[in-house]
Amino acid sequence: MRTRGDLATGYLFVLPVVVSLAVFLIGPILYALYISFHHFSFLAPDQATFAGLDNYLKLFKDPRFIRALGNTSLYSLGVVPIQIAIALMLALIVDAKIKGKTLFRVVYFLPTVTSTVAVSVMFMYLFKNDGLVNFVLSKLSIPTFDWFNSLTFALPAVMMMAIWTTVGQFMVIYLAGLQDIPQELYEAAEVDGATPWQRLRFITWPMLKPTTFFILIMSIIGTFQVFDQMYVISKGEGGPQDRTLTVVFYLYRAAFKDFDMGYASAMAFALFLIILLLTIIQRKFFKEETN
Amino acid sequence: MNKKSVITGLMATSLVMTALVGCSSKTADTQDTASKDEKITLRVGGWSSSPEEQAMLDKQIAGFKSAHPNVEVKFEPVVGDYLQKLQPMIASKTEPDLFYLDAYAAPEFMEKGVIEPIDDLLKKHNVNLSDYEDAAVKAFQSNNKTYGLAKDYNTLALFYNKELFEKAGITSPPKTWTELQDDAKKLTKDGVTGFSISAELPRYQPFLYQAGGTVYADGKATLTKSENETAINFIYDQMMKKDKSAAIPKTLGKDWAGDAFADSKAAMVVEGSWLIPHVAKKSPSLKYGIVELPVKEGAKPSNMIFTVAYALSKNSKHKDEAIDLMAYLTGKEGQKITVEGGLALPTIKEMGKDYLTKYPEREAFVKGASYALPYQYGTMGVKLVDAMNKASEAVVLGAKADAKAALAEAQTKIQ
Repeated sequence: MRTRGDLATGYLFVLPVVVSLAVFLIGPILYALYISFHHFSFLAPDQATFAGLDNYLKLFKDPRFIRALGNTSLYSLGVVPIQIAIALMLALIVDAKIKGKTLFRVVYFLPTVTSTVAVSVMFMYLFKNDGLVNFVLSKLSIPTFDWFNSLTFALPAVMMMAIWTTVGQFMVIYLAGLQDIPQELYEAAEVDGATPWQRLRFITWPMLKPTTFFILIMSIIGTFQVFDQMYVISKGEGGPQDRTLTVVFYLYRAAFKDFDMGYASAMAFALFLIILLLTIIQRKFFKEETN
Repeated sequence: MNKKSVITGLMATSLVMTALVGCSSKTADTQDTASKDEKITLRVGGWSSSPEEQAMLDKQIAGFKSAHPNVEVKFEPVVGDYLQKLQPMIASKTEPDLFYLDAYAAPEFMEKGVIEPIDDLLKKHNVNLSDYEDAAVKAFQSNNKTYGLAKDYNTLALFYNKELFEKAGITSPPKTWTELQDDAKKLTKDGVTGFSISAELPRYQPFLYQAGGTVYADGKATLTKSENETAINFIYDQMMKKDKSAAIPKTLGKDWAGDAFADSKAAMVVEGSWLIPHVAKKSPSLKYGIVELPVKEGAKPSNMIFTVAYALSKNSKHKDEAIDLMAYLTGKEGQKITVEGGLALPTIKEMGKDYLTKYPEREAFVKGASYALPYQYGTMGVKLVDAMNKASEAVVLGAKADAKAALAEAQTKIQ
């Protein structure tokens, strides 16, 4: 039986979370929305003036923002499919009955729990002009590049790093998905004489669809919000000719280097809209496929 | 039963609320105005770039404390991005009483009026601005008001590796652009690059100004001025791409030119006196000389001053004591320690001589100061420097055909 008292107790219990969410999440988001319509500097909040849509219109004319958005999209396009393919492959491997699979699981997962900054510094040493990668390439008589300082290779080098770092996390999610697939399906398929490839194509892949959808969305959101690798590798500058400048990185620069918090907030909301749009499209696409 | 759960819920809520409130009431300790014998605390904000620098500041603060026993001084170093931390502190009125302010970022702070003008306080405490180097004073003045006292400064000079010069048969360091170019060619061999300079305005600006260029005049960016192309083309196209006798540090696998110099990968670099302790630590046996920057044939010399001041918080509850501390840290007693430390040059004119007696081989830095411009470009500093860095980089990397095209793009970026 439910009484008014029970209801009050319930609300009291959720109150701490509601209050902290309101104070630390919803409040700041609303405030950022407010700021995005103002010429606003963090140095002197009381001197803010109303800007209308100025900050948002500026986004379309700012070559650096367009470059940042282009870089981010390219990064996402490169990282997401490769990441998903490798994660699935690794999950299939460590799910198979092989010796020492626990060790492999740990090894593949390790980069995920390593700090991004540490990983970035490590990759900087690997890809330095006189670093290990170039050393190996030159031994094999393959032309070498100044990776992070090259217009062509700076972004791909960061992509490789991102894939290496995050693939373990998605592997674990796929692994959970794989273990959810009922064993009977495989047994039935075997009775029908299905080849291993057919089993993968017609059982594993369709059964993993919800997992793939989840990973796809997480991966796209993650790649669109990329910041730390870029920041560390370009020393806060955006790389050669802004080739590794991403939206969040540019947002940070606008807010804390150019003192333009209003414009930075507008960028944040633009990014939010882009991610929202991408997610809606994927949802629709996946729903239609399952129907 | 029911009552009990209400009480539990209430307790849980109040616990969280206390935790939340606890977060916001941290800064109450400097609230009360102090009488003479009451102990007060002054907070000083800054960054700490090396243990040597930190030790110097500790010594300075200890000196002040022994003269002012009623004042406790707490240094709060910022790790990471200083301006990122300072901005929200100022917005929430919790910034330290005194804090470091780089000349390069100062115009934004002065124009927004978020730091305290100190002219009246300086007069009251008998601090004479004319004791300080003019360029260092001007860097922290806006609309006839003074906003800070410079703690030290640096200028640029040419460092050259004496051993490599001897090996290449060069008897004296280059004084002109032609000599720089010729010497760099002779020095470039056996894994050594003749000259290394990063693609950054605060390194190549002296060359750009020697050739008659300007990047900032009367509050406006003048990046597309045709004279600006000369130096960029000379260093980043002619020397780096055509002669291959110069390189940016990244090409040499280094983060900055000074490190390439310390490892004898570059025979000449343009840096400030901050390179001296780095070389001493990394390659103590390296023999090198420091001379004034090479000057374009028939042109006037040019240099730049990098300086950091102490600024006074508008919200400080102890402005008089804070000015005393500022005057001490930047005064003769404080800067005596700066001279001894040798990381930077003293901003008090008189002490420049002490510096020279102690380090006669560093004369080039003091000489350079006499014709230097402050590293400051009004409120557009960050954008302007960024655009100019990218412009020179575009020439090195071949992203733009020449300096003219690169500068044209740079100008559009800051509008």
